[in-house]
Amino acid sequence: METLTHILNGFAVCLQPINLWYTFLGVFMGTIIGVLPGIGPSAGIALLIPVTFGMNPTSALIMMAGIYYGTKYGGSTTSILIRTPGEAASVMTSIDGYEMAKNGRAGAALAVSAIGSFIAGTLGVVALTLFAVPLTSMALKFGPAEYFTLMVFAMTAVASLAGASPAKGMLSTVLGLIIATIGIDLQSGQPRFVMGVPEFQDGVGFVTVVVGLFAVSEVFRGMEGLYQGTAAPMLKIKGKLWLTRDEWMRSIGPIWRGGVIGFIIGVLPGAGGTIASILSYTTEKRLSKHPEEFGKGAIEGVAGPESANNSDTAGAMVPLLSLGVPGGGATAVLLGAFIMYGIQPGPLLFQSRPDLVWGLIDSMYIGNVMLLILNLPLIGIFVRLLYIPAGILYPLIVAISVIGAYAINGSMTDLYLILFFGVVGYVFDKVDIPVAPLVLSLVLGGMMEQSFRQAMTISGGNPKIFVNSGITVTLIALSVISVLTPFILARFKAFRNAPLAETD
Amino acid sequence: MADRVIFVCTLILAGVYFYATEQLPSLEIGDPLGPKAFPRLLGIALVLTAFVLLLEILRARKTAPAAVTSEPSKRGAYWAVGAAAIWTLFYFMVFEPLGYVVSTSIYLLVLTAYFNRGKWTTNVLTSVLYSLLSYLMFTKLLGVTLPSGILPF
Repeated sequence: METLTHILNGFAVCLQPINLWYTFLGVFMGTIIGVLPGIGPSAGIALLIPVTFGMNPTSALIMMAGIYYGTKYGGSTTSILIRTPGEAASVMTSIDGYEMAKNGRAGAALAVSAIGSFIAGTLGVVALTLFAVPLTSMALKFGPAEYFTLMVFAMTAVASLAGASPAKGMLSTVLGLIIATIGIDLQSGQPRFVMGVPEFQDGVGFVTVVVGLFAVSEVFRGMEGLYQGTAAPMLKIKGKLWLTRDEWMRSIGPIWRGGVIGFIIGVLPGAGGTIASILSYTTEKRLSKHPEEFGKGAIEGVAGPESANNSDTAGAMVPLLSLGVPGGGATAVLLGAFIMYGIQPGPLLFQSRPDLVWGLIDSMYIGNVMLLILNLPLIGIFVRLLYIPAGILYPLIVAISVIGAYAINGSMTDLYLILFFGVVGYVFDKVDIPVAPLVLSLVLGGMMEQSFRQAMTISGGNPKIFVNSGITVTLIALSVISVLTPFILARFKAFRNAPLAETD
Repeated sequence: MADRVIFVCTLILAGVYFYATEQLPSLEIGDPLGPKAFPRLLGIALVLTAFVLLLEILRARKTAPAAVTSEPSKRGAYWAVGAAAIWTLFYFMVFEPLGYVVSTSIYLLVLTAYFNRGKWTTNVLTSVLYSLLSYLMFTKLLGVTLPSGILPF
């Protein structure tokens, strides 16, 4: 009952004109970021953090969440029109979406993406509303040992599922944790690994790491593509932006199934939108009476994956909000934003700031309605963005990144860091080291060390505390399972060649 | 080949990190573990990672012979990216002395001249207008400090 009051109060918060405006701004920028190649939700959110300083945290977080789920809408547009996913999660859409566009059904493909995204996205937020609170009551029993093992689970899951090679995922995770140890140790006041750089005393800022790894490196990759001159021709939107009766009938099942798959995958750590859309695609192909149409413009192959990657974002908000532990790269960046505003998500936040939590969750209902309008009747405006020559777009992304990085501290060190991490991200991509695990462990590293040391202090230095409760044992078991999963999956042919890389 | 380099780098990094951890002075006030314990754990995790990498390398060698060929067009692209990275470094070096507007205009002008070849009017207009407008928007409207450099505002 109390929760219901909080939910309704949340609507009062997010319906305030100022918050409606920031919701709109967030989903609008999210759509743009989704349409544009070279910049994704992680970099988009990170670049906004310094600019939004001094804003009311509720409004700022509503806007950043809007960017996060808004990008999933925009990502499908480029998949359909130029066979280049604007976001990693839209990669499955580019298979049948582009084929539909070639067959003159671009309007239908865009329409089903937007409608599917809306239905599944809203379904996801309903599920988020229902599941967030029960999970917090469990999380209230968590002590430092439980939190430590939970973070271990989140990291192992992301490490083993983020790329083709679990070892490289592990490497990326440990590198993130190592970067997190740079700076003054909070408990002893001891500076660690600062390498004589005074700015490193405060640690390596995660904004610079994210901007370097996700924006600057993406620009380098884009320039490489420009040099080689590889691009599919852009197709014009033909046909009405609506579905025929037959297309409706074929899409409705995939939308619901995709919504459910996406939400479940989203709640679980590690997998993320890309895997959700791959799972939805393979499910639809298996259920279809005409599996041979897949790859040649089957509308189910657009409706399912697009729905899945949208309800996935709502699912991913569940562990972030109710446990305070994100399960992927983009939600890790959102956690970083929360922390920079001095807000620690988790069960206690539901008690201390119900207005913020529910204002944020409820704003997602409104944001999804706005996104439907932006992406259906107004999609033509965003398509114009694709006419910006890539040769101008990529240099501009660097210039935007420079403002974002410099605005944090006004420090040149941060600029050199985005270049450094830009090069690192480019090289890592070449040698197949995923970067999402690094960002997750960088954001969680400090918390992880704190809970590790608190747990050890409680137990008087006895590591047995990590296997003392049913929760920790379960979480350790889940971690072991997630490490072993890729080796088991490698036995299934379908997964062997699937592009599992979650680049945001 | 690349995987073997990663393996060696991981081991080197583990060694350096272990060494740096041991160099930290021990301050154990109200904390039985001190600032070294967690980094030590990470050092061990890094060695473990190297071990798993080695296993993957060995397994890959058994299943398929590695055939890595770098085509000449690929190598040209790497040079282009390298040049862009160095050009970005130059940009950062003059960022504060010249100021945001001037340095960013020059930076964008050169990159667009190369990657958006031949369209001089568009390139010059975008480079200068973007730099000027973003500067005014961020410094005057959003209160973000950017270096003014040689310009008086």
